[in-house]
Amino acid sequence: MTQPASLAPSPAAPDAELPLIEVEHLKTYYPIRAGIIRRTVGQVKAVDDVSFQIRKGEVFGLVGESGCGKTTLGRTLLRLEKATAGQVKMEGRNILAFKGDDLKALRRRIQVIFQDPVGSLNPRMPVSDIIGEGLMAQATAENGWADRTARDKRTGDYLEVVGLRRDYARRYPHEFSGGQRQRIGIARALALDPEFVFADEPVSALDVSIQSQILNLMSDLREQFNLTYLFVAHNLSVVQYISDRVGVMYLGKIVEVADVADLYAHPRHPYTVALLSAVPDPDPRVRKKRLVLHGDVPSPAKPPTGCRFHTRCWLREQLGNPEQCSAEDPAPRDMGGGHQVACHFAEQVSKSVASETIHGVIASKTQETGPVVAGA
Amino acid sequence: MDERKDAPVTPAVGESGQDAYIRAEVEELEASPDYDVALESLGQWELAWRRFRKHRMAIVGSALFFTMVLAGVVGPFILPFDLYTIPYPDVIDSFGRGPMLGHPFGETARLQWDVLMLVVNGTRLSLLIGVLASIIATVIGALVGGIAGYFGGLVDTILMRIVDSLLTLPLLFVVLVFTKFLGSGNWLSVTIIFGLFGWLGIARLVRAILLSLREEDYVDAARAAGVGNFRIIFRHLMPNALSPIIVATTLSVAGVIIGEAFVSFLGFGVGPETPTLGNILSGSQDTIINGNWWWAFFPGAAIVVIVLGINFMGDGLRDALDPRAKI
Repeated sequence: MTQPASLAPSPAAPDAELPLIEVEHLKTYYPIRAGIIRRTVGQVKAVDDVSFQIRKGEVFGLVGESGCGKTTLGRTLLRLEKATAGQVKMEGRNILAFKGDDLKALRRRIQVIFQDPVGSLNPRMPVSDIIGEGLMAQATAENGWADRTARDKRTGDYLEVVGLRRDYARRYPHEFSGGQRQRIGIARALALDPEFVFADEPVSALDVSIQSQILNLMSDLREQFNLTYLFVAHNLSVVQYISDRVGVMYLGKIVEVADVADLYAHPRHPYTVALLSAVPDPDPRVRKKRLVLHGDVPSPAKPPTGCRFHTRCWLREQLGNPEQCSAEDPAPRDMGGGHQVACHFAEQVSKSVASETIHGVIASKTQETGPVVAGA
Repeated sequence: MDERKDAPVTPAVGESGQDAYIRAEVEELEASPDYDVALESLGQWELAWRRFRKHRMAIVGSALFFTMVLAGVVGPFILPFDLYTIPYPDVIDSFGRGPMLGHPFGETARLQWDVLMLVVNGTRLSLLIGVLASIIATVIGALVGGIAGYFGGLVDTILMRIVDSLLTLPLLFVVLVFTKFLGSGNWLSVTIIFGLFGWLGIARLVRAILLSLREEDYVDAARAAGVGNFRIIFRHLMPNALSPIIVATTLSVAGVIIGEAFVSFLGFGVGPETPTLGNILSGSQDTIINGNWWWAFFPGAAIVVIVLGINFMGDGLRDALDPRAKI
């Protein structure tokens, strides 16, 4: 309630290493209720003690299987989901504690692009209202968005920014294709002039040919508007294409964080290795053996003890099931160059991959940014 | 579709024949009066009306329904009969007379009332009861269901358990008992009783709709932009919940009309001094055995036509109000 956070002076030359978002020990649990009086009988640990930083101006990719908590993590940052514990700091202030005017000002700085281009636009609103509504909610004396003509002008401007015609503002969502709708969703987010955008699988519902258009659009807009993205996806190629740094999530935890080239070339966590082995290679002559994990992801309501991945870990099997894996939760360790891994035996991973002892996950032509390729 | 003019297209300088042909096509399209119309977006109500118009059963249903409304509203005033004047006071009893000139629906036995006059008056009251009771039921149901669905949690649990327990009551007997003790014979009290007991289904419907709408991405998007609860409820949730509610209300009018006819037929509803379609039927039941069919047939047919019309109209509304449907 002091001064709106958005008025904080931005440095003339933004330091790329400066963290915009600092997530510290964030936990988001959902209660499991049962019985007539809705007693809490357990918790789904969707996000369980996650810490990482998103630097100003970067694209932070977040990958992981369905249900590992990627979306919940993003929704918690957006303040759409209530965090159970932990902090999320923006410019040193814990945004999870924001209320009232602070929260409203924050909402303008953090925006979202949804996965489903159909569900994210109200079918009963014309595009002018869909985009203009946020402007109206965020109207202040300075930006003058309380005025309808000012809002309409800005709506038209941002429609053009995302490559649509101004006069589409009068139309309803059902008159657009999936890619166009996603563009409208992007315009809605950007019209508020955010600094940080949470993109929740923004291309996974789109046609492959449209996916690249939207990805390129998002890349261009990032440069144009100095945006920082948290980009959630389960398509590893998409994440590789757009991200600067990547975090790998498994069952509510971030198991590995690294620069994109480093992660794709030298994965240090056995789960990351398995994920990367599943990336299809466009070259039909490459014979690639996949490292298939056994079993399903365990229930986040009852996660395994120790390392969460130990029930499905191929490395643990190879090492003869060491006690440590099931007993001790591995803390994230820095492996140099900002490459963080939460695995007791991360050194063994690189050794295994390098000495080609892992069946199928052999990086024979190790390119800097190339996806993991198996030797023939 | 139209016959194309076969006038040869002259290519401009440096233009291929095919390009010239395409240019001519585009120019022709742009010159046509429909060109701007196609670019103009239609409002959602206009689109719904277009879809409704194309729905044949809906148009037939509305025609039936509004004919009956017209008959009920205008009929009592233009027919040369008075409801409270006994037409032949000196004739004490009669078998009634079948349809004839001057009395197209015939005359009843005993008092020899004109059946057409009874039917238009009955239609008027039955429709009034049906519409009013449905509105009462919808308001209560939308309120209860809306509160339960939007706030969820304990409020939802309590309200829905109340609805569940009310639904276990055999509604007809409850209505019979209430009409018996709370001013039987008065049409307004019958209306209120039907309204007070008819909201349960609508409450469940509205709750279910709000529960699912609450989770929509566009609601999250609005919340993430800082849009307030009030606006979310009235600009996002209500407009999307409106069309199923309209449909449910429409269909419930038919339900109330049948229910009222049933209760009145059993002698518990509106008293015989005010004709409704139900109690006209009730009056006819002793004489039908004498071959006096017209006294029962015409009010019965009126019920069928009204209910059929409403149901067709409701189905058409359901389709027309879906914004995803194509025109």
